[in-house]
Amino acid sequence: MEKPSTLFTGIFGAFILSCGAMVLLPNSQIGGLQPQVTWDEGQNSPSDVYPVKREDALGHRVGQGVFVENGCFYCHTQQVRDPQYGPDMERGWGVRRTVARDYIHEDVPLLGVSRLGPDLANFGSATWRNEPDDDTKKPAKRDAAWVFKHLYAPTTIVLDSNCPPYPYLFERKEVGEHPSPDAVEVNGNFQIVPTADARNLAAYLLSLDRTHELKEAPTVIKPKEAKK
Amino acid sequence: MTTTHYTLLSTSLAASAASAKPAPLAPAAAKPATKEQVTQRDIENVERALIDQSARGPVLTFFTTAIFWLLVSCVLGYIASRKLHSPNFVLGPEFLYRWLHIDGIMRSLFDHLNYGRVWPAYTTALIYGWCSLAGMGVATWMIGRLTRVSIQAPGILQWGAWFWNTGVAAGVITILCGYNSGLEYFEMHSAAKLCLFIGYLLIGVWGLILFRYKRTVAPYISVSYLVAAFFLFPWFFGSAAMLTSMHGLNGVMKNIVNVWYQGGLFNLWFGCIGIAAAYYFIPKVINRPIYSYNLAKIGFWSWVFLGGLTAMTRLSGGPVPAYLVTISIAANILLIIPIATLTVNFFQTMKGHTGSMAYSPTLRFVFVGTVFFSIAAALSVLGALRSVDSYTHFTPWAHGQTHAVLLGFFSMVMFGAIYYITPRLVGCEWLSRTFIKIHFFGTAYGGATIIALFLFGGLAMGFTLNEPAGDKVAFYNIPQNGGWCNVVKTYIGYVFFGVAQFVFAIHFLFMRLRIGQPAGEPTLFANPGEAH
Repeated sequence: MEKPSTLFTGIFGAFILSCGAMVLLPNSQIGGLQPQVTWDEGQNSPSDVYPVKREDALGHRVGQGVFVENGCFYCHTQQVRDPQYGPDMERGWGVRRTVARDYIHEDVPLLGVSRLGPDLANFGSATWRNEPDDDTKKPAKRDAAWVFKHLYAPTTIVLDSNCPPYPYLFERKEVGEHPSPDAVEVNGNFQIVPTADARNLAAYLLSLDRTHELKEAPTVIKPKEAKK
Repeated sequence: MTTTHYTLLSTSLAASAASAKPAPLAPAAAKPATKEQVTQRDIENVERALIDQSARGPVLTFFTTAIFWLLVSCVLGYIASRKLHSPNFVLGPEFLYRWLHIDGIMRSLFDHLNYGRVWPAYTTALIYGWCSLAGMGVATWMIGRLTRVSIQAPGILQWGAWFWNTGVAAGVITILCGYNSGLEYFEMHSAAKLCLFIGYLLIGVWGLILFRYKRTVAPYISVSYLVAAFFLFPWFFGSAAMLTSMHGLNGVMKNIVNVWYQGGLFNLWFGCIGIAAAYYFIPKVINRPIYSYNLAKIGFWSWVFLGGLTAMTRLSGGPVPAYLVTISIAANILLIIPIATLTVNFFQTMKGHTGSMAYSPTLRFVFVGTVFFSIAAALSVLGALRSVDSYTHFTPWAHGQTHAVLLGFFSMVMFGAIYYITPRLVGCEWLSRTFIKIHFFGTAYGGATIIALFLFGGLAMGFTLNEPAGDKVAFYNIPQNGGWCNVVKTYIGYVFFGVAQFVFAIHFLFMRLRIGQPAGEPTLFANPGEAH
């Protein structure tokens, strides 16, 4: 065995090397990333800023919180990779790869670890999944009502889905005078309506859109081309 | 210098192995011993018994609580695995809820237990509950033996253990109730992390202080590994906990810190403690020095330097600087050096003694653990290659890798160590060799089933995931995407593994109650000379 001093110096050196290469070095590079700001000539304010810090931050945060606490990110990633890594874009999950700048306003970016379900990086964009128009399974619109239906009973929308249902994001209420437009099920005098959590979650999901042009990640697939 | 090491090593090992208990195969008793040797041995025996007695309280606390978390993680692992292929599966039949009057908030809590909550609770209980506590217990005992001092003020270690346990309990319960930090293997609430850290400081710092009281330090490679593990863990854990809870840290840097921490956790915390234990127990049981001390040294330094650099392959293709992934791929390929040296060393040490595995439970568990180590490390190298990674990224393959470390390598070595240490602490031998056999088969084959099916399922899913099949999503429950792997993993892998752990827990409980064979003759799979 080495002398204690050699041992400790060596071990501490290993930590410094690891921390320096894996944390400090990337932090010096991407730690201070700012939004991309575009100025038009002769204007006093920028014509375009991306990504924008959300104004409805509280609702957005609550929605993201629901996403995290139910562990959605264990099955759904939120990152689109370059075509050389996999057919992410061909599947309609995005039009360009996502880069560090896409996530600068997020508290903890939910990059995700496995794709047991589809990627959600651009779930809120109009071109997400991008099925051909003649596809019978293609929903007319992926809006909040679609999300509620999916959350309440995923298999009614995707037959093979192994996404768990989230009945606790919904509550049973009397229909009364005004039946809710968001009711996922109406049973006699009762209807099942989404709770505030479900609404925030749907709002969060529909806000996910990372298709904005960025200079460091050129758009690979033009939405029109992909439709064929 | 090497020769000195060798002599020191072999004398100390020979003396210790031939003494007190480990007489499983040592032919030393047959040799007529001179008077001085006997006296020397007697002194050492008494000394060793005293050291063991001083370590008794904290080590048994570590083991008992670790085994409790092992059972918790077996149950949670089964539920998580089953939830993945049948998400509608409800815990227990409906009438049970009525009988037990589980309704209102309790019932609603059960409804909340989806894969997304049970899985992180499972990994937390497994990593921080079972593996870490068992590792610290074995390490405490080994430090006492290697430095030949009795543990001073063991109460401090006890307090550390309870702080740590409180942290794990708080972490697991809050995750099940719906708190998650969003960082894999680091999901616990900051308060739970703080609790763990305080517990660790009490244990680790006290361990390092004890080191100063050392009478001799056996010139042994296990010491280096233990020092590395106990020194590096708080640095990785503390800085990762601090950095990820900081608001100043920008976007994906938190994911980078998280993955960096995972590398430290698996390679340098579990890896180092596991290797230290393997290097301690294999030579001890077969009564023979390790094959090459120089190889062990090369293995140690390359492992410590590369271990912290390999993790970033988890982020390949992600929104992070590309050189991070490149560094990790290079580090993974260089990892062949420590893997080769460690594998050669373990196998060459065992050469000609593999037959002893038929008798000694400790040896069988620890050696199978080192085989799993080689497999797990080779998987890490293989999985880092771009061509393999393109099929396995974002699939359960990654869980296969972590389970090969946690269930295959680390747990096996810890079981072996616990089978060796516990009789020396409680004063009686394990009750039943059948229990140990059941435990071994369930752990080895159940664990191997879990690992293999994670890997195969991951590959099968990866092939579909890699097809640009437009609408087709690679749902893991579809048979051709590896769905059958998950079903078999649940009903065979986790059931076998879990049953074995319950048998082990009962066996350990018997030991705590001092129900066992009379002390003196270790409980072996078969007595030497007996046909088996």
